[in-house]
Amino acid sequence: MARLLVLLWSLGPMLWQLYTSLRPAEALSGGGAAAWTLANYQQLLQGDPPFLRYLFNSAVVGGCSTLLTLVLAVPCAYGLSRLGQRSSRTLTVLVATAAAFPAVLLFLALLELARDWHLANNLLALSLPYSGLCLPLAILLLQAAFRDIPLELEEAALLEGLGLWQRLRWVLLPLMAPAIASAALLVFIFSWNEYPIALTWLSRSDLLTLAPAMARIAGSSVYTIPYGAFAAATVLGSAPLILLMLLFQRQIISGLTQGALKG
Amino acid sequence: MSIHTPPHQGLRVQRLSRQVGPQLLLDNLDLDVAPGEILALLGPSGCGKSTTLRLIAGLDPVSHGEIQLGGRTITQLAPAQRQVAMVFQSYALFPHLSVERNLSLGMELRGVPSQRLQEELDQVLALLQLEPLRWRRPAELSGGQRQRVALARALLRRPALFLLDEPMSNLDAQLREELRAELRQLLRSTGAPVLYVTHDQQEAMGLADRIAVLRDGRLQQIGTAEQLYNNPTNRFVARFLGTPSINLLDEGAIQLGLRPEHLQLRPADQKLPEGWRGIAATIAHQEWLGDRVIVHLHGGRHGQLKLQQPQPAGSGPWQLCWPRSAELHFDAIDGTRRP
Repeated sequence: MARLLVLLWSLGPMLWQLYTSLRPAEALSGGGAAAWTLANYQQLLQGDPPFLRYLFNSAVVGGCSTLLTLVLAVPCAYGLSRLGQRSSRTLTVLVATAAAFPAVLLFLALLELARDWHLANNLLALSLPYSGLCLPLAILLLQAAFRDIPLELEEAALLEGLGLWQRLRWVLLPLMAPAIASAALLVFIFSWNEYPIALTWLSRSDLLTLAPAMARIAGSSVYTIPYGAFAAATVLGSAPLILLMLLFQRQIISGLTQGALKG
Repeated sequence: MSIHTPPHQGLRVQRLSRQVGPQLLLDNLDLDVAPGEILALLGPSGCGKSTTLRLIAGLDPVSHGEIQLGGRTITQLAPAQRQVAMVFQSYALFPHLSVERNLSLGMELRGVPSQRLQEELDQVLALLQLEPLRWRRPAELSGGQRQRVALARALLRRPALFLLDEPMSNLDAQLREELRAELRQLLRSTGAPVLYVTHDQQEAMGLADRIAVLRDGRLQQIGTAEQLYNNPTNRFVARFLGTPSINLLDEGAIQLGLRPEHLQLRPADQKLPEGWRGIAATIAHQEWLGDRVIVHLHGGRHGQLKLQQPQPAGSGPWQLCWPRSAELHFDAIDGTRRP
């Protein structure tokens, strides 16, 4: 019973959005019982640029940010986990501080950077701040996972004659798969949802990512609020994330609870 | 003494030391292990035996001293270049790979041609009876099976030296005893020197040709099990070998060491022959072990004593006696052997 309540509590808003997206505008503002409709979706998908364009843009930025973050975080976390006790603790505290730093304070500086280095209106460039912001958390997550791998496994590989890259490729990374999957998803979700930086760095409408695009839909008319279209956009925008979560749920759960049992 | 000593084909360790901060983990260790010889490193935990293995394997840096293997100095070489195979206490099998992949990964990445790889793999799998387990993951194996896989991996390395770090400590006592002979034969058959770390004296005595006893990073004594048992250089070695352990009797500046099997119970009023000594003792309790009985005694000011004999003792009164030739004499303070 309690579980059902929790489920309703967390699924409620999503179901409401789904319902809203399938109703015509009249029905939403209390104009009688209208039929179910796909008009909201049609309107979105046939817009200029079509809504799928935003999804694609977000996927590109998300994919790039994730890749860049992992490429930087994996060696970093490995190094941290293999350093001596004292220096690794100092560095870990620094990284944790960076992770806790409020990103809001960086917007102005980031905007200046974008202007000076001509990074505006460039999807790939947008993954630079995203990776930068996600890096500390990703490093902390992966470092904990590296620490959980017994050192003897790597030593055994060392005695077998495996080089550093071979040890990473054949022994460490496969064992890290759950942690890497969960770190990757966290980064991807962050960049999928990120709004303020995308809003300030992107102005061309065919380059918008999901969050600013949806804001534009919501504010597209002065006189009415297009509830239906907005709800449809929410549904379309969250569908890929839900899909990813379903695909990787087992890895995410085991990745996030890794190290929960051992100090 | 000739100047041209032939290159030593086994393992030779000279004045090997490891210091971490102010702590001396290993202090000037000298060892020689001939090809085909099994040397056990025996000692309590923290005595430096695992440190020794790690230094020889190249996993930890040497503070000073030299390691030679097959006439070649390997002190500064990377672990991969030392041609050394190690069986870890935890076996360190790769949990995400099948038994076969666990064994073949190293060879594959070292560039062994695939046909030779397959042949050697089949040979080792057959030798260690791992054939039916080929596709299992380590998590699906029992402790004994995991140990065999770890051994197989070490064999496939075709090493010039085997290092084994307490390979039996994760197995139950019965299996340990069964595997001892098997392991000894297998290690012997390779012809390479073997260094075997253990804290179990019975394992060391049953498996090794010679035993080196370590304490606090220092070598106490090295020799055959018989030499160590009958002729220990100090109290530590004497106490470490033998179950039940040696009895120590205070005699002023000297401590008498007496093995439980050298003690005898005789009627209290009996006169002892020439060269024998006796003290009054009362029986505390007896442990009946089937083939022998361990009698626990109160020896007055000598404290608790243990004696081993084939049959349980009657109620007494008894005197505890021994031939003086069986006495070992130790310095009461520093434990060194005295004549």
